[in-house]
Amino acid sequence: MKKILVIEDNPMVIKSLEFKLTKDGHNVLVANDGREAMKHLKENEFDLILTDLMLPFVTGNELISYIKKNTPNTPIIVLSTSTQEAIIMEAFNMGVDDFITKPFSPNELSLRVKRLLGKN
Amino acid sequence: MRNLQNSPRDHATILLVESCSQECEKFSQISLNEKWLLVICQDGLEAIQWLNDNSSADLLIIEEDASPISGYQIADYIKTELGLALPVIITTGEIPSQQESRMLAYAEAIIKKPFNDARVVFQIRKTLEKAIVISPEQNNHYSLNYLIDLSGGDKQFISETIQLFSSSINLELQNLKQVLFQKDYLRIREIAHGIKPSFDMLENEKGKGICHVLNSEAKEMEMPYLIDQLNSVFNNMNNQLIKDFPELNLK
Repeated sequence: MKKILVIEDNPMVIKSLEFKLTKDGHNVLVANDGREAMKHLKENEFDLILTDLMLPFVTGNELISYIKKNTPNTPIIVLSTSTQEAIIMEAFNMGVDDFITKPFSPNELSLRVKRLLGKN
Repeated sequence: MRNLQNSPRDHATILLVESCSQECEKFSQISLNEKWLLVICQDGLEAIQWLNDNSSADLLIIEEDASPISGYQIADYIKTELGLALPVIITTGEIPSQQESRMLAYAEAIIKKPFNDARVVFQIRKTLEKAIVISPEQNNHYSLNYLIDLSGGDKQFISETIQLFSSSINLELQNLKQVLFQKDYLRIREIAHGIKPSFDMLENEKGKGICHVLNSEAKEMEMPYLIDQLNSVFNNMNNQLIKDFPELNLK
């Protein structure tokens, strides 16, 4: 069972991600904001991280920097909306592995997660 | 909100709010040819009064700058206060395309003045046909298709997600009002960005569109109106959900 950290502040998106990823057989931990995410990252190791970029307290980019510095091999998928092209490009430049548009397509999520977990 | 009943394109009742007598004359001729019943109102208030008394129109066509209340406000009042799912076409002069796309968040279509007979007929027919598709069993406020697809029809997941929608958006709309009062426009954009996927997940294009405009291109002076509109959209959705899912005790 792979351990996935979901960092997101929209409760409906969280619920959907939790439902789908758990159904796909993964162990899911949720952080509602950047601070909570930092806490989880310090206390746990994850096989994959799904993160929004616009988060309360700690920005998505700060989180990505932190993850890349401390666990550079952990794949990151960015959860974005279609209006964030420039921000997504910046995230890719920082080394994120993939991105998914919210609300996500269930099959697309499963495939992208599976692909990145398979790589590791 | 009452959903629109099936109505034949012929003999459709059209409520027109138009101040220019020449344009009214043009519309009368078109309606005669198309076998539409045209009711001309001097202003938006008269249209509201007519709907209160009759409530059986198939379409409202109203000037953007109707006096004493704008076309937007009248359309909003009809939908939220009278509870009528009445399609609305807004008539206007030449406007920038950005403003046009924004208008479409509040009306089904736009007709530009001076009226061109063929375009008017085409646009009205198209709008009436769209309205005919809505049956009493369906509603145009939300759809559960995405949640059903995602969960494979899991009832518990769907119920809990509906409850989340109702409670979280209610809270965020209160936050929006508060930050608007504080004139914290950046925070308004952030909140709109955050709740946009929620409207998207229940497939409400209008709510999603307003969030998008608030997040990206709305001017500060437009924000109060857009937030009001978003409130109306949410209230309509929530009222329909309360009606459809009484067991969830939504507020």
